[in-house]
Amino acid sequence: MLHKEHIGYYISGAGHIGLIGWMVFGGWLSPAPEPVEVSEVSVISGAEYAALVAEAAAPKAVSEAPQTPSPATAETAPEVPREDVTEVPNAVPEQIPAPEQDTAPDVTQIAPPPAADAQSEAPDAPASPPVDIAVLAPDISPRPAPRPVPRIAPEPVARPAPETEIDDAVRDAAEPQEQTEAPAEDRQEATAPEEAAVEIAVENEKPQAAPLTSLRPKPRPQRTAETPVESSVDKPAETAAKPVVRDAVRDALAEAMGAAGAEGGATSDTGGSGLAANGPPLTAGERNDLRVAVSSCWNVGALSSDAMRTTVTVAMSMSEDGKPVMNSIRLAGFEGGTSASANQAFDVARRAIIRCTKSGYNLPRDKYAQWRDIEMTFNPEKMRQR
Amino acid sequence: MSRLIAIWLMAAAVFMAPVAHAQTGPLKIEITDGVIEPLPYAVPDFVPESGAASSMAKEIARVVAADLSGTGLFREVPKEAFISQITSFASPVEFSDWKAINAQALITGAVDVASGGKLVVKFRVYDVFAGQELGGGLQFVGTQDGWRRMAHKVADEVYSRITGEGGYFDSRVVFVAESGPKNERKKRLAIMDYDGANVQYLTDSRSIVLAPRFSPTGDRVLYTSYESGFPRIYVLDVASVGKRVLESQEGTMSFAPRFAPDGRTVVYSLTQGGNSDIYTMDIASGASRRLTSAPSIETAPSYSPDGRSIVFESDRSGNQQLYIMPATGGEAKRISFGQGRYGTPVWSPRGDLIAFTKQSKGRFHIGVMRTDGSEERLLTASFLDEGPTWAPNGRVIMFTRETQGAGGQASLYSVDITGRNVKRVRTEGGASDPAWSPLQK
Repeated sequence: MLHKEHIGYYISGAGHIGLIGWMVFGGWLSPAPEPVEVSEVSVISGAEYAALVAEAAAPKAVSEAPQTPSPATAETAPEVPREDVTEVPNAVPEQIPAPEQDTAPDVTQIAPPPAADAQSEAPDAPASPPVDIAVLAPDISPRPAPRPVPRIAPEPVARPAPETEIDDAVRDAAEPQEQTEAPAEDRQEATAPEEAAVEIAVENEKPQAAPLTSLRPKPRPQRTAETPVESSVDKPAETAAKPVVRDAVRDALAEAMGAAGAEGGATSDTGGSGLAANGPPLTAGERNDLRVAVSSCWNVGALSSDAMRTTVTVAMSMSEDGKPVMNSIRLAGFEGGTSASANQAFDVARRAIIRCTKSGYNLPRDKYAQWRDIEMTFNPEKMRQR
Repeated sequence: MSRLIAIWLMAAAVFMAPVAHAQTGPLKIEITDGVIEPLPYAVPDFVPESGAASSMAKEIARVVAADLSGTGLFREVPKEAFISQITSFASPVEFSDWKAINAQALITGAVDVASGGKLVVKFRVYDVFAGQELGGGLQFVGTQDGWRRMAHKVADEVYSRITGEGGYFDSRVVFVAESGPKNERKKRLAIMDYDGANVQYLTDSRSIVLAPRFSPTGDRVLYTSYESGFPRIYVLDVASVGKRVLESQEGTMSFAPRFAPDGRTVVYSLTQGGNSDIYTMDIASGASRRLTSAPSIETAPSYSPDGRSIVFESDRSGNQQLYIMPATGGEAKRISFGQGRYGTPVWSPRGDLIAFTKQSKGRFHIGVMRTDGSEERLLTASFLDEGPTWAPNGRVIMFTRETQGAGGQASLYSVDITGRNVKRVRTEGGASDPAWSPLQK
């Protein structure tokens, strides 16, 4: 009875479960939908359509590349000609004759050759321009000269009278101030000649060699006399201490760097001495560059065994273009060998220095005073062990 | 604030002081790494100064070039690279032209046949990059037949001026020329220029000859011959090919002779009753003196250049090693301690090194060591390398290399004491037991 009463519920529940099940799992059972092809569509005019049709009907251009004929390969390798072996004639005698004895040749010294008239050295590069010019010259092209402009009126146009207003208030007449010379940076040179043109002349042609970079503004001129900003009466203690501190710093720097100038004697062309005058010292990289450059030309292959045990020190002066002054290359000293082996080692060292300086060593020119005089020590110990 | 800045600047100045001091004086650079390459040089054909000298002028330049390049220390710049030519011996040299082709040394020369038929060869050597002459010009005058020797002399001078050590091109080598199969090999004494040219035979092949050695002056040769059925020591005059046997006792075998530096004494091995020892003999009187008296085998003695010491091989330690003793005999000091067996020691003409043969792990080596046994270096390795002999300058060693197998043949090779430039010396047929002469006078 009870079952009969609930049959409806059972049917309804089963139906709902089936419906829910179909909704949940129905999508899994159905095959995956095929991808939809999407293409962009645009609207064209009839004329454009006609043009497209005409293009499609045109014959295709042949674009096949011609076939490259394959190179003929030799089936057999060419015969290598045999080295000609000189047959030494069989000199077996029936009776052993006495071997011929060559008489020792006479030896005579020959007078040295005449001095070469012709210039035997490669021509030197033209002297470089002064440093201050050379720094800027490559970057700035010369300004083109302005084209002449027709002038109509050589005389300037008369200025109109300035408009003056009369103040109602009456004031005392101002005392004339002392005329102080205006600072140089305040001066402005006339940008145009006094002559004025009535007509405006326009340059149609642009300058061909326009500068790519602008000139750096000139530094402010050194003021000869400092203008007192504050009265010394206001802060007497501080202003009195200032020169003392600056003197101490100057003294310390001079003490630290003065020895360089005094001992080295290498003063720059600008005058003065010490580190400031010589420029900063060479960096380790710059020194290493020089070392590597010379090392690559130091060929000890033909050195004698004695010379390979001799360490030589070669001194030389350098010119500003990074080349050694030939006459200045000299043997400054040696260790571990005889004077003969030292001379031999020096010849090889000098050859290395000269060979590798065809275009000058890559040394910083602003530190020229640091490398104007060089001492190179050639130590072949490592090479001897190879 | 300004005080702080001042203090900071002062401290910086103090720390910078050493830097500033380091910059005083010239810039100092130390070069320790270089390159080891043959030095490029140019030898244009020598200028013939007469029609009769034209062919020899070219040949002499070629021999000079072969000598220099053969050392392995020099590399000839090919003629095709030349920018300028040498047309006159007296004309100045355009150094820039030779610099451009990286010829670091330039050798110019001229050849003439004088009115008496004498050949005149003159030359100059230039350091191209220094733009100056190396030494002065030299002129040799000799017979036309001796043109090769004059070329060698030119090469010796050039070598000496560039390397700083003596040359060895004007020297000869005496060796054992071998012919025939291995089991019936015929051996004769032969002499040739150091480069294999001008071979001349000193003995016939009727008896076996071994171990020829030059006298200090190069005019005589000591060697061992089986002419009498037993090994005996002979001395041969190179100029006349006359020979004589040195004094020996009946029932003994004498071998491995070598001249003392004075040229009047011979040191050699003598086997008596199955025991080998080292003896010396005065060549003129025949008086001999025993230097060793050990039950072991002592042989292959070689004098030091100063004549005070003798290096020899002995198996007294149970293994073949090298020893040095005073030239008058006495206690010997062992100098070789490496693995393997050491033999045939030869003292360098410079006195600093001893060359030897070493057998180790089935291979033979030519090596050198210092006279105290230190710094041993093996220069070669092959199936069979043995019997080193020094070039007159002590820079090159010649030795025998024999190939393996029944058809193996002995040849002469040379090697630089650095171990580089191992090359064969061209000879007709087989060759062994080389001995280098001193430089010819």
